[in-house]
Amino acid sequence: MLAYALGALARRRAKAVALTGGLALAVALVAAVLFLADALRGEAERARSAIPDVVVQRLVAGRPATLKLGDARTLSGIPSVARVEPRVWGYLFLPSLQGNVTVVGVREGAAALSVAPNGALSAGRDLARGAHEMVAGTTLARALGLRVGDGLQLPSASPSPLLTLAGTFDSSVELYAADVVLCDEADARAVLGMASDDATDVALTVTNPAEARVVSRTVLDRLPGTRVVEKELLGRVYALAYGRRAGLVLAASIPALLALLILAWDRASGLGPDEKREIAILKATGWSTKDVLSAKMLEALLVGAAGTALGLALAYGWVFLAGAPGLRPALVGWSVLYPEAPLTPMVDFAQLVGVALSVLAPFVGLSIVPAWRAAGTDPMEAMRG
Amino acid sequence: MLFSLPVVLVAITAHARHARARRSAEQPAIVQLAPRLPSSDLALSGGARWLRMPSLEEPGAAFADGPALPDPDPAGGAMAPPREVWAAETRRTK
Repeated sequence: MLAYALGALARRRAKAVALTGGLALAVALVAAVLFLADALRGEAERARSAIPDVVVQRLVAGRPATLKLGDARTLSGIPSVARVEPRVWGYLFLPSLQGNVTVVGVREGAAALSVAPNGALSAGRDLARGAHEMVAGTTLARALGLRVGDGLQLPSASPSPLLTLAGTFDSSVELYAADVVLCDEADARAVLGMASDDATDVALTVTNPAEARVVSRTVLDRLPGTRVVEKELLGRVYALAYGRRAGLVLAASIPALLALLILAWDRASGLGPDEKREIAILKATGWSTKDVLSAKMLEALLVGAAGTALGLALAYGWVFLAGAPGLRPALVGWSVLYPEAPLTPMVDFAQLVGVALSVLAPFVGLSIVPAWRAAGTDPMEAMRG
Repeated sequence: MLFSLPVVLVAITAHARHARARRSAEQPAIVQLAPRLPSSDLALSGGARWLRMPSLEEPGAAFADGPALPDPDPAGGAMAPPREVWAAETRRTK
């Protein structure tokens, strides 16, 4: 039976190649979007475990505004809150890059950064307190033509110090820090033009993360009008952000998916005269309808399996080996400081089987219909055409 | 041809598992840096300040940088978020 199916495919080589190729391209497109969205969600989730449990922001007229340090003191007595940290960070437009960088002030007492493999730095060292230094992403340093030891005056409305590049981030954290400039909190205030008693937001560390919701309610009671972002809810943000973008890209690829449906329709809408004659000969030589259907199903299974396998392999290679050229900007957004770090696949065997079955099952199922119809006709009549 | 699919599935699974293990070895570096960052959001849209930290900023004004700007990240994709995320949230808010 298998030999017959392979022989039949060899006899109609052009059709088999066209079907396999079309199926492979459609599977590759859909699978690549799913692989990429999963990988992005996975990367965001990887850092989520290490960020503060609750972040408090002030909203004025629906827009984020700075908080006062006194607001942070208001939150310090909340039960189960181990640490209250007013943070200073913000964006700075660099005309030379035509893009924003994220300037983050590092408070005194923050855990030191070390050099890779176990640290976040690839070159140089962490900031020395009060030395007007900065640590920047490799992508940003390269874009600005900076090397460790070089100085940079960031554009600012208020007088700000010349910052010396003390270190650059390792590629392992590039996805989170490609556009980040870390500096002393006082330097960040000067660069961002923030008053000494202002904070961008307040980060709370909760001793029991399960109580974050209760802490959030207490924060809202003590500081009405603030916006509280819980770490746990960020998982939903990532699911939404990347799921939504994946949905948009998939919607944009509907023409390609339609091509797949047309291919499937080609299988369902009927057999060519050659195929009908071939089935008639098989019936005339003693093959039962069941045998004919099994042979045709095997034929479709061979084409479907090869097309799906090729499509999945193409998608995987496209996203994780080639870096998803063409697809990555559509799904992850645009930036002048684009992190070049490779993505880590999050796909597992069950997901792959799911994708494969969702393609193979309808493809094989549809191929049975015309074969059933042809197998039911009188062999003599079919051979006469 | 028939065996190409299982071979590809197993090969992709093995390669992905290996890549994840390699990435896990870099977790200490991520854990070291993440507490200093405003959020765990990826630095993928640094050119657009409303998208750099989507989890933290401008919740009600996705395209506030100019009137009639094209929305770079419109709502309503064809793919829904994972069901379990909503389910977990429903349980939490009950």
